[in-house]
Amino acid sequence: METGLLFQLVLNGLIVGALYGVVAMSFVLIYKASQVVNFAQGEFMLIGAWACWWLLTYWQLPFWIGFPVALAFMTVFGVVLQVTVLRPLIGEPVISVIMATVGLSIFFQALMKWMFGVFAQPFPAIFPVERIRIMGLEVQSVYLLSIALSLMIMLGFWWFFNFSKHGLAMRATAFDQQVAQSLGISVPQVFAMSWAISAVVSAVAGVVVGVVSGVSSGLSFYGIKVFPAVILGGLDSVVGAMLGGIIVGVLENLAQYVDSQWLNWGNMTNIAPFYALIIILLIKPYGLFGTKNIERV
Amino acid sequence: MKKTILAAALAFSLPAMAQTRTPIGHLMDNSGPTSDVGVPYGQGVADTMAWANANNRGRPTNVLGFDYGYQAPRAVSQYQAWSRDRVAAIQGWGTVDTEALVRFVTRDRIPFVSGSYSAALTDAGGRSGRQGVEAAPYNFFYGPSYSDALRAMLLWARDDWRARGQAGAPRYAHMGANHPYPNSPKEAGETLARELGFEVLPAIQFALTPGDYTAQCLTLRSGGAHYAYLGNTAGSNISVLRACQTAGVQVQFLGNVWGMDENAMKAAGTAANGVVFPVRSLAVWGQQAPGMANVQAISRVSDAAGTAYRPVHYIAGVCAAMLMVEAMESAGENGGAMTGERIRNGFYARQNWVPRGFDGVCAPSNFTATDHRGTLAVPLYRARVTGDTATGSVAELVAAGTIRLEPVTTITLDRRADWLGW
Amino acid sequence: MALAPAGEFHASYRADMTIMPTRNSRRALLLGIVLLCFAPLVLGRYELGLLINIGFMGIAALGLNILVGFTGQISIGHAAFFGVGAFLSAYLHERFHIPVILCIPLAGLGSAVVGLVFGLPAARLKGLYLAIATLAAQFILEDFFARAQWFTGGVSGRMTEAVELFGIRFDREESYFYVVLAFTIIMFVMAANLMRTRDGRALIAVRDHYLSAEVMGINLAYYRTLSFAISSFYAGIGGALYAHYLFFVSVEAFNILFSIQFLAMVIIGGLGSVMGSLMGAAFMVLMPEGVQALADMLAGGWIDRTLKLGASISFLREMAIGAAIILFLVFEPDGLAHRWKQIKAYWKLYPFSH
Repeated sequence: METGLLFQLVLNGLIVGALYGVVAMSFVLIYKASQVVNFAQGEFMLIGAWACWWLLTYWQLPFWIGFPVALAFMTVFGVVLQVTVLRPLIGEPVISVIMATVGLSIFFQALMKWMFGVFAQPFPAIFPVERIRIMGLEVQSVYLLSIALSLMIMLGFWWFFNFSKHGLAMRATAFDQQVAQSLGISVPQVFAMSWAISAVVSAVAGVVVGVVSGVSSGLSFYGIKVFPAVILGGLDSVVGAMLGGIIVGVLENLAQYVDSQWLNWGNMTNIAPFYALIIILLIKPYGLFGTKNIERV
Repeated sequence: MKKTILAAALAFSLPAMAQTRTPIGHLMDNSGPTSDVGVPYGQGVADTMAWANANNRGRPTNVLGFDYGYQAPRAVSQYQAWSRDRVAAIQGWGTVDTEALVRFVTRDRIPFVSGSYSAALTDAGGRSGRQGVEAAPYNFFYGPSYSDALRAMLLWARDDWRARGQAGAPRYAHMGANHPYPNSPKEAGETLARELGFEVLPAIQFALTPGDYTAQCLTLRSGGAHYAYLGNTAGSNISVLRACQTAGVQVQFLGNVWGMDENAMKAAGTAANGVVFPVRSLAVWGQQAPGMANVQAISRVSDAAGTAYRPVHYIAGVCAAMLMVEAMESAGENGGAMTGERIRNGFYARQNWVPRGFDGVCAPSNFTATDHRGTLAVPLYRARVTGDTATGSVAELVAAGTIRLEPVTTITLDRRADWLGW
Repeated sequence: MALAPAGEFHASYRADMTIMPTRNSRRALLLGIVLLCFAPLVLGRYELGLLINIGFMGIAALGLNILVGFTGQISIGHAAFFGVGAFLSAYLHERFHIPVILCIPLAGLGSAVVGLVFGLPAARLKGLYLAIATLAAQFILEDFFARAQWFTGGVSGRMTEAVELFGIRFDREESYFYVVLAFTIIMFVMAANLMRTRDGRALIAVRDHYLSAEVMGINLAYYRTLSFAISSFYAGIGGALYAHYLFFVSVEAFNILFSIQFLAMVIIGGLGSVMGSLMGAAFMVLMPEGVQALADMLAGGWIDRTLKLGASISFLREMAIGAAIILFLVFEPDGLAHRWKQIKAYWKLYPFSH
């Protein structure tokens, strides 16, 4: 039992899991507000990362200007997407909406490859200190930024949903659209806002991953990892999404540990979250924190 | 009577035959997981074929390009179409599709010059006795096979270990995706490593796509590896190099021919510093060599301004295409028909074969009817990255010296019969 | 010359239950099949290849349509079952030397069994959870294909043989076309027939209002699982036909993008329509060719230079798939079958239709 390696892997899992949690939170946000499953979450990350990279390298903007500009772009992008593609699909069966987001994901993945090429591009150096040592594990500073940002986002979400007018409006819309409309809440506005916020939050995660391992098309695969995270945590729970993401991150690294020590299959890191997903769906389909939907016939 | 008519018909049609363009298939990966190296190699091949047509080298060809996105079934399906259209030869790419097509090209007698350097393709006569290796009399490639390149690097690693004055047995780990291309040299490498006295650690897997491979790097570090072979293309190797640099892994990385190039050095930055990898040509872009003028002329086919920097894969593509061009030249000598067998025999026509006009660029190749290991001399280079590579193009970075390819040594392997085919 | 009936007036139970609504539409269908039989004499290899692709993709899409359109389930893992059929057919032939023509239905049955295994837990899940579960199944099966060397040849893939019947090898497009045509006709007739039987109506009831269906005594779990099995059967047949056309199967073909393409076929063709599956499959097979033709037409022009079309043709193809899905969902949510029905209705009422 290599406890040193195990410990480091768990730590790495926590850090990477925080990123998964951020992406999962933005996914859950859209689902909670508009009942739409967004298969294009990974592409939001990708577009945010490429946009920020482009601003930093072509326009030579410093990071503290380029990053907010990229986020502003993502806000507009999220709203435009919701208005053009999702709004006409309100009321359609869930399969249609899923397919629309799937179509978006294919479209944007190919578009990004077309616009930015197939080579992975590195981000310009952002922090003066690249790496910090935490308990024997060398961590990139940007990961610490990401943890700080995740905590800020979580707090922001908590405040937003509990204390702000728009957040309460979103929760009301998620609970019962018709009653919310009858009380004067503009449901289309709520939808648009939820997509905008989700796009921005995903872009943050995308930029973090881009800084660490370069921007490339592999970023969109994070969007697939979102599913085990939200299933574990519960589809309509923001806190659950964060925890689910962290669990998936730790699970991946534990699987890598088990694989490297005993199994030597080599692929457990990638496939373990999906096995966990199936198991959770069988025993606890609503996840750890999701609301149970009990039907009695 | 019949014979005279036939002879007359042939005599009249010979000029016509000489004028018709021979169809050549060209499989490329411009959009799939290996496109980061597939694009420059494919560009090199395409430019060379166009240049050869323009300069009357070889025989007039009609190149039918197809981007199959590294999905073997698409390549196989395109091959079926081509073989019915009677292509004379094919410039291929990936390991999975090349190995899948071995039986087909042998049956249809179509020479196949691949971008895959899998050793299984070198067993032309099928005599190696290796399990799962079939005779591949129509498969060729330019450069050392993956297995031979890895063997050369392991020999270098052993010398390097001794030169460093280290005690004990060095540890070696194979890293790559679970895919025929990275798996191709795994067994050969691990066997030779054991023979040389390395302690062989369990292989570590990472995908062909870019991602976060910190867990794999931590496993590598905890295993205490000293030398690690990166079996994937540059795209995912970059992710591993960066992750391992962050995790503080002190390992001498050994790349494969597709695993490191100037673009990868720019993308990985200082993480790529020190990686040792084989280079298939005798010179890299920007160096002086007698044949470099022709390479630059070829480069101008797709880059009229002449400003593009051509990575090592482009030059390898040039050499691979020139081999086929000269083989077709041999096949067409004395008015011969452009059939697959004649083109294949054209590969055997020369010894220490450097295509005309490419001295100092293309390494000499030797193909025989039973042994398609073209070259057993493996030039090893070390990647040197000394600074920030995020800004500036590859050409600028090379000119400034931030990115450098430093020659290390050339290891020449023995042509061992028991190393054929694996 | 009515292809659609003028009204609902049936004098016998048999008339009520027919698959083709009018005599003329039945004749049109038979005429179409006869014309298709002459296709290999007229069309070139390339066009026949496209038709063969439409054939086996249409069979698999029909299977998915039974699951998604008729039973209201969701499956994002259809390509995995397609792959099971392909590998199983290759494996059965190579290992047990069963004649290929028998391997294809056996592969379908094997695929149905696998579908049953995945359908059992899926019967308890609904909507989004089912979608995600099938997504996970897709990845798990893909991983299994990559690791199971004995079954699939691992990541290197496996070679297959051609269909052989009475000594004739169906290894060229001209001859294999008839094999695929025969299977397509049989499978489509079976599906159309299924929809007019009791089980078919039960599936539709499960889709429309499952609570009422349960109240009426339709066993939800049984029919949901059955639907998975039937859809996997179709996918397996499609996969086996694919394997014996290409003579090579490898795991890379059966990825998530392929699953999405099946879903796109079903949606573009029309959910819940047997004919729509074929139309959707035809659209998805022909659209990349259309994109390629468009790019070739524009090649060399200023559009090509500024946008670098030539080098990015694969990206354009994928973008076209994504855009097609979105545009169809926004503008034509009921699919091509619905549009075709509208066209027929227009001509039926002409010149009185508005």
